[in-house]
Amino acid sequence: MNLLSASSRSSFPPRRALAAACAGVAAMACSSLAFADSGIGVDLWRGNKLDPTAGTRSETPDENGTTWLKPGQNRSPTGNLYLGPFTPPQPEQYGDWRGYGTLEVGVLMVPTGDQRNALWNRYADWKEGPILGLLDYTLERASDGTYANFRGSRISDDDEYYQATFGRAGAFKVQAFVRDMPNIVSGNAKPVWNGVGSNRLTLPSGLTPGGSTPAQIAAASAAAPERTLSVTREKQGLSYSMFLTPEWTAYANVTDEQRRGARPYGGSFFFPGLGGSMETVKPIDDSTINVNGGFRYAGAAWRMDFSYSGSFYRDANTRYTFESPFVMASPVPGALSAPVYQGQMSTEPDNDYHNLQATLTRKLPSLNGEVSLSAAAGRMQQDDTLIAPIDCRGVFGVGFGDLQLGPQNPLLGDCSQWNTPAALSRRSAKMRIDTSMVDARMVLNPTSQWTLRGNVKYDRQDYRTGDYLLYNPLTGQYGYIAENGSQPSIIPGEGFPVGRFTEVGNMRIRNIPLDIQTVDANLGADWKFDDKNTLGVTFGYNRYEPTHRERSEINDSSVKLTWINRSLDALTLRVNYTYLKQSGDRYDYDPYEEFVSASLPGYTPPAGGTPVITTSAMRKYDMSSFDQNKLDVMATLALRDDMTVSASARLDRKSYDARIGRQDYDTGSATLQWEWQPAATTNLSAFLGYDRSRLKMSNVNDALENGAGTDPSLGGPTYPYDAQWWLRDKQRNYYAGALFDHRIGRVRVDAGWNYTYSRGTDSYRYAGPDALAYPTTVPPGPGSGAFSPMVYRVNSFNLGVTIPIVERVSLRVFDYYERGRVDDWHYLGFDQSRYIGGMLYTDGGPQSYSNNVVGMLVNVKL
Amino acid sequence: MNRPTSLLLGALLLAGGCASAHAASYIDQRRVDAVQGDVAAGAAKATVCVACHGPNGNAIVPAFPRLAGQRAEYLAGELHKFKRGTRPESPMTALAMPLTDEDIRNLAVYFAAQTHTPSTLPPPDSQTLARGEALYRQGDPARGAPPCQGCHGADATGPEAGAEHYRAWPSLRGQNGDYLVQRLQNYRDGKLKDSSNDFVMHGVAQTLDEPSMRALASYLSSLPPASR
Amino acid sequence: MQNRLLQNRLVRAVVVCGFWLLFGAAAQAQQTREELSRNLPASGLSNEEVQSTGRTLLAAPGFAKAKVAVNPAFPDATPVGERTCTACHQLEADHFTHTLHALGLHAANKADASIPVCETCHGPGSQHAQAPLTKGSIIAYTKNGGTPIDVQTQTCLTCHEGGPRDHWLGSIHQRNGLSCSDCHNPMAKFSVEGSLAKSSINDTCAQCHQDVRMQFNRRSHMPLPEGQMSCADCHNPHGSLTAPLLKTNTVNETCYQCHAEKRGPFLFEHPPVRESCLNCHSPHGSNQNTLLVAPIPFLCQQCHTAQRHPDNLHTMQSTGTGSNPDFRVMGRGCLTCHANIHGSNAPSGPKFHE
Repeated sequence: MNLLSASSRSSFPPRRALAAACAGVAAMACSSLAFADSGIGVDLWRGNKLDPTAGTRSETPDENGTTWLKPGQNRSPTGNLYLGPFTPPQPEQYGDWRGYGTLEVGVLMVPTGDQRNALWNRYADWKEGPILGLLDYTLERASDGTYANFRGSRISDDDEYYQATFGRAGAFKVQAFVRDMPNIVSGNAKPVWNGVGSNRLTLPSGLTPGGSTPAQIAAASAAAPERTLSVTREKQGLSYSMFLTPEWTAYANVTDEQRRGARPYGGSFFFPGLGGSMETVKPIDDSTINVNGGFRYAGAAWRMDFSYSGSFYRDANTRYTFESPFVMASPVPGALSAPVYQGQMSTEPDNDYHNLQATLTRKLPSLNGEVSLSAAAGRMQQDDTLIAPIDCRGVFGVGFGDLQLGPQNPLLGDCSQWNTPAALSRRSAKMRIDTSMVDARMVLNPTSQWTLRGNVKYDRQDYRTGDYLLYNPLTGQYGYIAENGSQPSIIPGEGFPVGRFTEVGNMRIRNIPLDIQTVDANLGADWKFDDKNTLGVTFGYNRYEPTHRERSEINDSSVKLTWINRSLDALTLRVNYTYLKQSGDRYDYDPYEEFVSASLPGYTPPAGGTPVITTSAMRKYDMSSFDQNKLDVMATLALRDDMTVSASARLDRKSYDARIGRQDYDTGSATLQWEWQPAATTNLSAFLGYDRSRLKMSNVNDALENGAGTDPSLGGPTYPYDAQWWLRDKQRNYYAGALFDHRIGRVRVDAGWNYTYSRGTDSYRYAGPDALAYPTTVPPGPGSGAFSPMVYRVNSFNLGVTIPIVERVSLRVFDYYERGRVDDWHYLGFDQSRYIGGMLYTDGGPQSYSNNVVGMLVNVKL
Repeated sequence: MNRPTSLLLGALLLAGGCASAHAASYIDQRRVDAVQGDVAAGAAKATVCVACHGPNGNAIVPAFPRLAGQRAEYLAGELHKFKRGTRPESPMTALAMPLTDEDIRNLAVYFAAQTHTPSTLPPPDSQTLARGEALYRQGDPARGAPPCQGCHGADATGPEAGAEHYRAWPSLRGQNGDYLVQRLQNYRDGKLKDSSNDFVMHGVAQTLDEPSMRALASYLSSLPPASR
Repeated sequence: MQNRLLQNRLVRAVVVCGFWLLFGAAAQAQQTREELSRNLPASGLSNEEVQSTGRTLLAAPGFAKAKVAVNPAFPDATPVGERTCTACHQLEADHFTHTLHALGLHAANKADASIPVCETCHGPGSQHAQAPLTKGSIIAYTKNGGTPIDVQTQTCLTCHEGGPRDHWLGSIHQRNGLSCSDCHNPMAKFSVEGSLAKSSINDTCAQCHQDVRMQFNRRSHMPLPEGQMSCADCHNPHGSLTAPLLKTNTVNETCYQCHAEKRGPFLFEHPPVRESCLNCHSPHGSNQNTLLVAPIPFLCQQCHTAQRHPDNLHTMQSTGTGSNPDFRVMGRGCLTCHANIHGSNAPSGPKFHE
């Protein structure tokens, strides 16, 4: 049994991972398993677009309603109408057991439309043909509460799920599932390479690696057939949970997921016209085992929770290589470019993860509260074999006069000294992060009116054994070869490793550990000052201490006010307001000095000094100081006994203290929902929604052509004021929808409409043409402008009719129409060509579409 | 017209056809409008009724129900059920057939407006009375019998006014005992199953044995009419 | 490839076999108990249909401690038993029968008649039976039923304490006065799993969080509308140690549950990536590709002012139909070259080129 069939290169053999997983399951489940529950793990829901409810769509509302004693529905404590129940099943008796269920089979017809469109079928692989809408069958044994259930649905090979559950209520539950989930990442990809989906992309016959003319590249791109790129997730899992005693429960879950497919990805070969950049295709071929298990205790005074989570990721590939068609051509007079033509892209390393967590809670009966202590320790690690710094033959870099290695060509590198693991300071990654967490919290209700609560959480991640030096023992050089050798082959000396006691150039020589420590504390009180009103206040404090970042300490202080009002029988109102202020210690715009070659002994700065990496006015938004105001209002109102209106409004304003960087980020939303249940078999609802965001940022162009500016200050010679620019990104979304479900006689008619309209605009202004990437096209002086709007508009309609044929058998006929329109300036012109301005693209970007699906489903109540 | 469109259209037509063939299988008494009518017109129509139901609806024969002072909505509901022919075989079925909705409303308000007179029958023995009262007030958890007062009111004149869904629940106070027993038997045996309220009473009556039914009926019939 | 496909199927077969093995083992794990009849009163409290089947078993441990709930509003009320309740509430009983609570409570009541059914959750029924219009006479899980929220939740927690609900007390939902029954309705089967009040987890959350639910209609989104995942895959609505109700100890741990490849640690890491995925991604949905919070290149330019190329302003000129088509704007933008933006394990990847 080899769950991780593909990972041949793994340093941690998959069989062992599986064995560990199984041992974990066995340990947790000494003798005899609920799936991931709301407390741990994923996989809580398996449905599909045809029925996101995974089985209740085909149920019939009971025309008799909920109770004979009064009309209509009760309301939940918040005030929403409860649903009317479905018609109870008519079970068949098999001895001790009773069985009931639903079988729904039929066909989908997709007569017209853009079926391959990636916006349309991204997570729903609707194809023309027969489908299993639903098979759901339950067996129950009333005498002891034992039950078994099978549920499955198959839309197509990549869009299906099946699960089987067996258990005894209050005793144990075992569940197994298999699920395939589609993810169409591009419906209109035109990769030029052979070997898409594999770890080796080679150019077709019309193209020469490192030596194709633009015309040849354009022709090959135009000739490449359009294809779909997708990544399918295939997952299977087994879970178990049981009561050991009325107080003790145990659970264990194990899942195994394979991802297969290919997706568009980058491919760096320096700048167009000099080398070229391309969008390659990354193979996806990996597998993940997730395991968790634990014991839980809930007694009269104490509660305990002990859990283990593990994850084991295995990638079949360590890297993939791709051939570049572009000719290397240095613009520097006299410089000859080495003919590098092949790039490599590392894939994600295999990783292992373990986490142990324990929680201990003690009730405090005299104060009507509880105190709880949690601790967790985790480890994520990988020790993947490292790939060589470059995959080239011969030489890389530039030569002057010729491309012969030797002292006359100091900026020419010998591939054989770099295309081998022997060129590495260490053969494997040896990366590890240990995490730890301690949380203590207390809630007290000293009187029925007062709740006092407080918690402190301490969390840290420590990088262990990870220091990696970019040093080639074969050549004694530090640094790395940038962009697959293309950069040093075009710009002499750039992205070229530096000598032992160099000289010039400043490049990374070490990786950066990112240890983090966080302390989060909250203290609050809630006061029920009468039956109808609760007021709450919470003071929060957060100290975030990153390592090797612009700040070593960031502090958040917040106050949150809560008001809950139920003074009207028909209304529930919840209002929350938060003010948060973030600040920190001194902002160091360049905390990376020790990780670059400037820190090497003997480093000689260039004549003008070492170039700065950024402006001192930059405040990265995760490190920045800001003020935040958040308001959140929710109301649920019963308009009549059978009608509800809910509304919400939310505002979140963040104002950053940054001259360069993010300056403001405001979001807001408003919703209005209306629901009407005039009869047990009639439901109508509608909603309107609006949300928006506004992001303001500023940046500044560097003025010096050679990028060698040494003054970090805004307004200085490197970053002059007249090169500053400002951008405002505004996103507005409008949503609306309606649902209708009604019985006309014995026939059920359901209809729905869903509408989304998004509009994003990016407008800018600049202090002068120097701010621009292409300054020569505008007149001197400040200016402004805007990108064309990014638009996404989707309208979908469905209409279904369910007609009873004979007892227990009905026919559902439905039509689903969806139309989407998208405008995205990132992909302008891609419909004409994928070879634009010396760059070769694969994905054509999102496309507008319309599709109509007709389905006929026969529903049999088993 | 392409194939899917015609399929869909066909389905809709079929749906329409099925829809017209449907009729309510029971009377939903969870939403009952207040009955308005003409008392005088009801009085004129009621001449036939008094033969069995007594003068002003105070039936003397214990097997016939007293209608005087009963809730109009309940009376109207019962007449509709007779008219539908879903009650157990009774002369009422034939008598209700020719009644119009208006007749029913008028009769209902007429009888509701009449004064209920006390029973002339001798009171039951105290043990039966106590058992009946206990059943009415507390029910009998051992049998699964709920207390009647929950729905029929602490004074057995029907539930508190107000909620629309309680309008059709009858007053039991001073009702004729034999009639009540027979009625409970019919509920128990599933002979009265034509309304949401019948369904409730079907479940309740199943929890009562014959002596319990008789004790309850005796207790209720012994109660003097409520003063208005 | 073929081989792998075969192996994959094999794995599935093994999973299914494992299921059946456990099925068998678990079925044998049940025991019968002889001396059960001792505490069966003649009250008829237990369900008749269940009683008739002859086999007697120990009550399942999860129901063994079930008892009549305490209703502080009516301390003098006494239990009346399920039959009394269902005499009037037949329609409710018809719907309740096919729920997991009913299955378990009925079986437990059969094994031990002192275990109630309806009154486990609704408290003793005598007052309600006599005067059903008296608010709070049984524990009601409705808006105007007269039972305080605390009493409702405490009643559920009597059996459901701990585990995923370990941190309910003091959680944001508890403090905002939510009751279990705002999200759960165990009176009938409204959802295939979870005894929910609406037909899915996502619909249940959307009762209050429609603003968040809408975000999933945006151009890029997690596959919620497609039914492939649920809010509760990332959030624990019952309370957790991590705001906003995250199921793991950090944002990133939550994402790694499905995106394990991003866990690394990579030889070269991108600091904001390690810090929080939310620095660049809007978790529910976004108007940009791949859940990004802002369009590229501006997303990146919020932090990067390095000399030479990331710090200048692009305009429509840099788009594919502009006068200077530029790869920092077209298609993947910055990520065309800095492809491994989540971290690179390539020795030549400090800038995520490889």
